[in-house]
Amino acid sequence: MRYDIAIIGTGPAGVSAALTAKNRNKSILLLGSGKMSEKVAKAHEIRNYPGLPFIKGSELAAAFRNQLDRMEIGITEERVGAVYAMGDYFALQVGEEMMEASAVILATGVVQAKPLPGEETFLGRGVSYCATCDAPLYRGRVAAVIGYSPREEAEAAFLSEVCSKVLYFPQYKEETALPDSVEVIRETPEEIRKTETGMAVKTANGEYPANGVFVLREAVAPGQLVPGLETDGAHVKVSRRMETNLPGVFACGDLTGTPYQYVKAAGEGNVAAISAAAYIDRQKK
Amino acid sequence: MVKKVNSQEFANEAMKAPVAVVDFNAVWCGPCRMLAPVLEDISEKLGGKVSFYSVDVDESPDLAMRYMVNSVPCLVMLKNGELAAQTVGFRPEPLLTSWIEGNL
Repeated sequence: MRYDIAIIGTGPAGVSAALTAKNRNKSILLLGSGKMSEKVAKAHEIRNYPGLPFIKGSELAAAFRNQLDRMEIGITEERVGAVYAMGDYFALQVGEEMMEASAVILATGVVQAKPLPGEETFLGRGVSYCATCDAPLYRGRVAAVIGYSPREEAEAAFLSEVCSKVLYFPQYKEETALPDSVEVIRETPEEIRKTETGMAVKTANGEYPANGVFVLREAVAPGQLVPGLETDGAHVKVSRRMETNLPGVFACGDLTGTPYQYVKAAGEGNVAAISAAAYIDRQKK
Repeated sequence: MVKKVNSQEFANEAMKAPVAVVDFNAVWCGPCRMLAPVLEDISEKLGGKVSFYSVDVDESPDLAMRYMVNSVPCLVMLKNGELAAQTVGFRPEPLLTSWIEGNL
């Protein structure tokens, strides 16, 4: 089935977009977290959300959920790996599955992670963001994996089945649960370098050679999520109607830039949904 | 049309074409599957100027090695057999078309 609008993110922007899209009678695929937004949930008190004076972040998140439930909007709790512009529709890699939508609204919030030196320079030439995609290219060779959350361990374990050796650099405190064949290195990568024989991960203690380096983050940069999307640093460039450079892709909320305010995000979500609905109606003509 | 070639056909055809765009891909690669129809569309439009080929990196590891394909999909543009441009990853049709035309 092809949805009218896929909405990625369940913060104020995504929720607002979903409510408005539903009001416009569009079929929606809302991708995010059942807990809504971690940023909202952790906010101590919000004093400038009209109509909800001094509301706690956790209460606002619960109210979002309640409102979605009452509008019969479900949340698909899967990670979106990529969004591909196929011409007259979009293909979304959702977990292991491909899903389709006529328009896409990005409401992912802003990615704070700064790329490592060398990461972007060598992307696709020794650096990869997707182990399951590129693992077979490193068959019988050495892979280094920089994992920013425990869920990336599955990818490292997968690589260990294909590669001759896997070095794993966990960038979190939790204990790792990995096959013995994976060598865990508790050090902080400072740079990804190209060497005469391949790549190397540089830490304060030295250099670790590998044929390929996989950088696995919880959130990918918007330009990685949607190939071809025009960005400005961590933000996506949008018009007043929340249109991006790709027809059919809209962005809203913190992702479009400062100020990072819940009310601004909700307002932009509303605009994005109206623009997306209008885009779909034009396409159908 | 995008013609699938093995190493032998690559040498005989892609290397001899005035301008060739070669799509290095693999069956297990999700973005490659998405790129294929986009490239097919472009080949219909630019077919007179550019020849399009597709290479499976698992079937032709020698070619993947020669062009240092470390990530798929990878597009390689050849002019009379000489490497003219290379790009990695999926791109929407208008951007890919301008990449090809910009390198002609």
